[in-house]
Amino acid sequence: MDFSFTEKEEAFRNEVRGFLAEHHDSEGVRADGADVESAMDKLPKLLAWNQALYEKGWVGFSWPREFGGSGGGIVEQMILKQECGDVRAPILGLSYMGLAWVGPGIIQYGTDAQKKRFIPPILKAEEHWCTGYSEPGSGSDLASLQCRAERDGDDYVINGQKIWTSLAMWAQWMILLVRTDPTASKHLGISCLLVPMDSEGLEVRPIKAMNGETPFAEVFFDNVRVPVENRLGAEGQGWDVTKHALANERSSIAEVTALHHNLDDLKSMAGECRLNGKPAIEDAGIRQRLARMESTIEAMRLNGLRFLTKQLRGEPIGAETSVNKLLRTEMDVETGRIACDMQGGHGVLTGESPGAVQGGRWQKNSLSWPTTVIGGGTPNIQRNVIAERLLGLPHDS
Amino acid sequence: MDFGFSEEQEQLRRQVRRFADERCPMDRVRELMDSDDAFDKQMWASMAELGWLGLAVPEQAGGLGLNWEDVVVVAEELGRSLLPSPFLAVTTAARAVDLLGSEAQKAELLAPLAEGTSVVTLAFFEDSDVIDPDGVATTATADGDGWLTLSGTKMFVPWGQSADKLLLVAREGDGLSVFAVDSAAEGLTVEPLQLIDTTCRAARVSLDSVRVEADSRLGAVGQAWPLLSRALDAGLVALCAEMVGAADGSLQLTTEFAKVRQQFGSPIGRFQGVKHRLAEIYVATESARSLTYYASWAVDHLDDAASSVAMAKEWAAEALDRAGEEGVQLHGAIGYTWECDAQLYYKRGRLCRNLMGSPDYQRERVLAAQGL
Repeated sequence: MDFSFTEKEEAFRNEVRGFLAEHHDSEGVRADGADVESAMDKLPKLLAWNQALYEKGWVGFSWPREFGGSGGGIVEQMILKQECGDVRAPILGLSYMGLAWVGPGIIQYGTDAQKKRFIPPILKAEEHWCTGYSEPGSGSDLASLQCRAERDGDDYVINGQKIWTSLAMWAQWMILLVRTDPTASKHLGISCLLVPMDSEGLEVRPIKAMNGETPFAEVFFDNVRVPVENRLGAEGQGWDVTKHALANERSSIAEVTALHHNLDDLKSMAGECRLNGKPAIEDAGIRQRLARMESTIEAMRLNGLRFLTKQLRGEPIGAETSVNKLLRTEMDVETGRIACDMQGGHGVLTGESPGAVQGGRWQKNSLSWPTTVIGGGTPNIQRNVIAERLLGLPHDS
Repeated sequence: MDFGFSEEQEQLRRQVRRFADERCPMDRVRELMDSDDAFDKQMWASMAELGWLGLAVPEQAGGLGLNWEDVVVVAEELGRSLLPSPFLAVTTAARAVDLLGSEAQKAELLAPLAEGTSVVTLAFFEDSDVIDPDGVATTATADGDGWLTLSGTKMFVPWGQSADKLLLVAREGDGLSVFAVDSAAEGLTVEPLQLIDTTCRAARVSLDSVRVEADSRLGAVGQAWPLLSRALDAGLVALCAEMVGAADGSLQLTTEFAKVRQQFGSPIGRFQGVKHRLAEIYVATESARSLTYYASWAVDHLDDAASSVAMAKEWAAEALDRAGEEGVQLHGAIGYTWECDAQLYYKRGRLCRNLMGSPDYQRERVLAAQGL
C-alpha cells in the first residue's frame, strides 16, 4: 500500500490550488444538485466559474484532448475533485448530466458529427441535458420501457411518456431511451435518441416534490420527429449505451467531500443546539450517531480508493460501486434526521418560522434526500445488484 | 497511490488459505475447540516454519521484517477458517517487545517467538476492563536491589494457558511498566476462562508477590503507556482482520446455503427478503475490510492511528456480528444446531465484539480524538 503522490501529482495539486485561489469565490457559490432554483440565482457566478475551468481544460477533465478535455489521469482527477471539495467550490462544470453520462456516451458511441455538435456546448455549459429513462410503468425495471419510436423516412417518430425527468424544464436536450423494435427481447429492442427539448409535440409538465420544489417533470411525446442522425449508437444498442454511459458515474470522491462538509456543520451545530437542557454534543445518543457518520464516510472514502486502485491496476471492475451507493443512502437520510433530532422541539420548524434553526436548512435537507436515494437506482435495486452480480445469487425473475 | 496488496502479499494470502484448508478444515476446528487447550503444536510449528509468527519481527531479531499489512493478510485468512491458534496473541506481544524492548531483550524474546518455541502473550487487561492506564491496578514495587514484586490480577489474557512468557503490565510509580515474566514463575497462577467462543482461549493470571528482576522491564520505568497503546492498537487491527475474514467466511457459507436450499419451489436466495440481507452483510464486510486495511497501513506510517483503528473495530465488529447472526437466522432451524457451522461464526462475533473495546466505545474514541 502506498498513499503518497508522485512529484508530478503534487505539482498538479499546487496548480489546482493556484487556480482556486484565483477563480474560486470564497463566498461560496455551491451548485447543489438538490437545489436547482438557488443554483439558478447564482447563475452568472457559476458560468464564470465554468468558463475559467473550461479554459483550463478541466471541465470533462478525463476526456480526450481532441474533444476539449485534458486527458487527465484518474489520480489527478481525484486530486482536482478533492481540492475543489476542500474549499467547497462548485461542481466541476455545470452541465451536470452532460458531463456525467451524455458526454461519455457520445464519446464512446457517437458519430464524428455528433461529437463535433454536442461535446463543446457541454463543456462550455451552453447546453444542458436531461435524461429520459423512467416511465410511469418502468422504474426499477427500466428495460420494460414502452415509449415508442418508429422509422418514417429519415426521421424517427416518437410517441409515449417519460417521468421523473430531472432538469427537464431547463434542459435544451434530452438523451432518450425508446423502443424501436417491439418484437425483439426487451433489452434488444431499445435505442437511444438525442432529442431537442423544443421539438414540436414535446410537452414538459413539472412535478412538485415533497420539499415544495419542482426538481423533475413528466415529458410527453406526441408524434415528435427527430432525424435518424440523432440516434446514439446502432438501432437496438440503446441498452448497452445506457449501461456503459451510467457506468461513467462512479467516482465517489466528490460525494465524500460533500458529506464531510455536512458532518462538520452538524458537529458545530451540536455544540450550539441545546437538547434536553444541555448541548446536543453532550447527548450520548447523538454522539454515537455522529461517530457512526464519521466512520461511514471514512469507509466510503476508503472503498472509493480501493476501487480507484483496481482501475489504476487495470483489474476487472464490477458492481462494487453499489456498496458506496447504499452507504450514501444511509448518510443522506441520517443527515437531515440527526440535524432535526439535535434541535429537539425546534426540529419541526421550517424556513422563516420564528425559532427555526439555521433558516430551516436541515428541515429542507430532510425533505430532499430522495433525489439521490431514489434517483439512479433505488436502494433495493442496489441490493439486488450486489446479491446477483457479486454474490452470485439467482436473479429475481 | 495504491490501496491494495502486492503480488507477494497475495501469494502469502493464497498460502495461508491453502494451509488452513488442508491442515485445519472445519472438522479439525471442532476437534480443537473440544480439546483441552485448543492448541495444535504441530500446526503451530508449521506456521512458524512458514515465517508467519515473525512476519513483522525485525530481521536481526529473527523475523521477516515485513509490515503490519502482512500480519493482516495472515490474520484475515486465519479468521476466515476459524483456525484456533495463539497467532494474534503472539503477534501483538511481538509488537510490544519491538516497540518497548532493548536490542538485547528483542533478541532474547523475539527469536524463540518467531521460531514457535516460545508462546508470548501480552497481559494488559484487568477486571476493570478499562483501556487506559487508570484501568491497571496491578503494582510493581521495588523489592531489594535489582528486584521487584508484582501483585494483582490480569484478565482476558489471550492464550494465557499456553504461554511460556507473559508481558505483564503493572503500575510502577506514576505510570505503567511492562515486565517479561516466565509463566512458571513462583506466585503466578493461570486459570482458564470459559469463553463464549471455544475456538479461542484466554486466561486469568493472578500475581501473588511474583518476584522479577528489574532487567525484565521493557523500556523505562513507568513510561510504557504511549508505546504500549500503539502495540495494543496494532493488535486490535489484527483482530479486525480476523473478524473481516470470519465475516466473509460466514457470508460465503450462508450464501452457498441460500443458493441450494429450496422452498416454495425456488432457491431461497432468489427471495429479496434473503438476498437483501446478504447484500447488506456484503456492504458491511467490504467497508470493514477497507477500514481495516487502511488501519494496518496507518499503524506503521502515522503517528496517531487511533481514530483509524477505532473505526475499523467498530465496523469489523458490526459486520461480523451481523454476518454471524444472519448466518444463524437464514439457515433456519438447522442454524440453531450444534452441527451447523453458522454458530461458530456467530460465537466468534460475540467474542470479538467486546474484546478490546465494544463498537460503542470505539465511536466515543473517534470523537475524543477530535476533542469532542
